[in-house]
Amino acid sequence: MSGKNLERSLRGFWFALMMFLYAPLAVVVLFSFNSINSSARFAGFSLEWYEKLFANDAIISALVNTLVLAASSSVLAVIIGGLLGYGLYRYRRWRMGWLIWLIYLPVIMPDIVFGIAEMTFFVSLHDLFGLFKPGLSTMIIAHVTFQVPFVALLVNARLLSLDPQLFEACNDLYANPWQRARFFIFPVLWPAVLSSVLLALTLSIDDFVISFFTAGPDSTTLPIYIWSAIKKGVTPEVNAIATLMIGSVFIAALMSLFIHRRSVQKDRT
Amino acid sequence: MKIAQPTRLLRDSGHLLLTVAPGALCIVAFLVLPSLYLMGMAFLSNGPYGLPTLPLSLQAFRELAGFGFLGWSPGNLYTLLRSVWQTLLATVLVILIAYPSAYYIASRPSRYRALLLLAVVVPSWTNQVIRSVGWMNLFAPGTPVSNLAAALGFTAPPMGLFPSQFAVIVGLVYNFLPFMVLPLYAAFERLDFTQIEAAQDLFARPFAVFWHAVLPQTLPGLMAGTVLVAIPAFGMYVVTELLGGGKASMIGNLVARQFAQASNWPLGAAGALIMIVVTLIGLRVLRQLGRRLGGDREVVL
Repeated sequence: MSGKNLERSLRGFWFALMMFLYAPLAVVVLFSFNSINSSARFAGFSLEWYEKLFANDAIISALVNTLVLAASSSVLAVIIGGLLGYGLYRYRRWRMGWLIWLIYLPVIMPDIVFGIAEMTFFVSLHDLFGLFKPGLSTMIIAHVTFQVPFVALLVNARLLSLDPQLFEACNDLYANPWQRARFFIFPVLWPAVLSSVLLALTLSIDDFVISFFTAGPDSTTLPIYIWSAIKKGVTPEVNAIATLMIGSVFIAALMSLFIHRRSVQKDRT
Repeated sequence: MKIAQPTRLLRDSGHLLLTVAPGALCIVAFLVLPSLYLMGMAFLSNGPYGLPTLPLSLQAFRELAGFGFLGWSPGNLYTLLRSVWQTLLATVLVILIAYPSAYYIASRPSRYRALLLLAVVVPSWTNQVIRSVGWMNLFAPGTPVSNLAAALGFTAPPMGLFPSQFAVIVGLVYNFLPFMVLPLYAAFERLDFTQIEAAQDLFARPFAVFWHAVLPQTLPGLMAGTVLVAIPAFGMYVVTELLGGGKASMIGNLVARQFAQASNWPLGAAGALIMIVVTLIGLRVLRQLGRRLGGDREVVL
C-alpha cells in the first residue's frame, strides 16, 4: 500500500470511528427535542420534554442526590486518597506490597460484585445493629471506597515524578514539617489534587452499578432514575435527562482542553 | 544513617499510620470484609426467604453447575461460557479498531493530538446507562439502522436490532474502546519509526511490517489495554441487561438476578466467587503473557 492510499484509508477510518462514537449520543440529543413520543421518527422540534422534566420533583431530587453524592464522596476521597498516596510515596522503601494489592483491589473487582458485596454487608449490619441504613450515606461510603485508589495512584505518580533531592533541599533549609507541607508539598501536588477531584467526580457520576445496589428508597440518583424509566421503554423524557448529562460532560471536556492548552503554553514560555 | 533511631522509627511509624491507615481501613472495612462475607455466604444454605442460613453446604455450587429440582440443565454453564466468549470477541474487536485509531492520532501533528485523544475519550465520560440508551435509540424497531439491517436480511422487519447478542457486542466495544486506544497511543508515541522504514526498505508486506516492527514495540500498550478492557468486560452488567435479552446475558446478570428477583443469596454469592476467581486468573494469565512477550511489567499492574 502506498503512503497516499494508507493516508486516505486512515482518514476514512477515522471518520467512521467518529460516527460510531458520537452517533448514539447525537441520537439521544436529537430525540430529546422530538415533538412526539418515538425514537424511530423525528416529527418536529419541541421543548415539551424539558418542561416536563423540570416540573418533575422526582427528577429534581435525583439530580440533587447525584450532585450531593458526587461532591461529598469526591472531597472525602481526595483527602483520604491523597494521604494514602503520600504515605505510599514517603515510605516506598518499606515493604508494602500488601498495600499495593489493597489499592488495586477496588480497581480490579468487577463492579457488580463490589456493589452486591456492599449491599449484603450493609443490609446485614443494619439488621444486626441498626447501623448503615441503605441510603445516601451508604452510597457515599461505597463511592469513597472505589475513588480512593485512583486518587492515591494519581498523587503517588505525581510525587514519584519529582526529584527526591527537593525533599532534601527542604531539610537543608531547616524547614519544619509544617513549612515543608505549606511551601513545597501542597504547591507541587496542587495539579494532581485538582485532577484527582475531577477524576473522582467523573467516577462518581459515571457509576451506576455500585450506586444501584447500595441505594435506599429515598436516594435515587439520575442514572438510577433513568434505569428504572427505561425498563418501561426509552421516552423523550429519558433522552432529555440524558442530554443534560451529556451536555455537562462536553462542558467538562472543553474545560480540560482549555486547561491542557494553557499548560502547554506555560511549558513553552 | 544506617540504623534508624528508635524515636525516629516511632515517629515514622506514627506518621505512616496517620497517612496510610484511613485509606487502608476504608478499603478493608468496606471492600475486603464485605467481599469475604459474600464469599462465605456461598457456602451456606438457602433459607426460606432467600436469605442464607446454616448449615454449611455446597448446595449453591451444585445449583450453579446446573443441578436443580428438575435434574441437570446446562443454562448456567452456558452463561459462564458465553461470558468468556463475549469478553474475548469484544476484546479482539476493540484491539482491531484501536490499532488504526491510535496510529492515526500518533501520526497527526502534535498540536492536534490532545484534541483527537479527547474526541475518543469523551463518550466514555458519560454514564454507561446513557451510552446504552443511545444504542437503544439507534437499534429500536423502525429506525434507519434497524431498517437497513432488515433490508439486508439480518433481522426480520418488525424487529429492532436489540435486544440481541449483536447489540451487546456493539455496546461492549463502545464502552471499552477508549481504554485500549489510550495505552496504545502512548506506545505509538514512543515508537521508533526507523524500524518501520527499515522493514519497508526491505520490501516487507504491510502485514509483515506490522508483525515485525510495530507489534513488538506496542506490546506493553496492548497488554495494558487488554487488562483494562477484558477484566471489566467480563464483569459487565449494564450493557447486557439493557441491550441483550436472556440469550446474551453474562455471569454478572446471573449473579444480580439471585439478589433481586430470584432471591437465592447463596447461589448469587457462589456466582460472585466464580467471577472473582476468573478475574484473578485472567489477570494472572495476562501478566504472565505480558512478561513472556517482553512487555513492561509495570504497565500490566
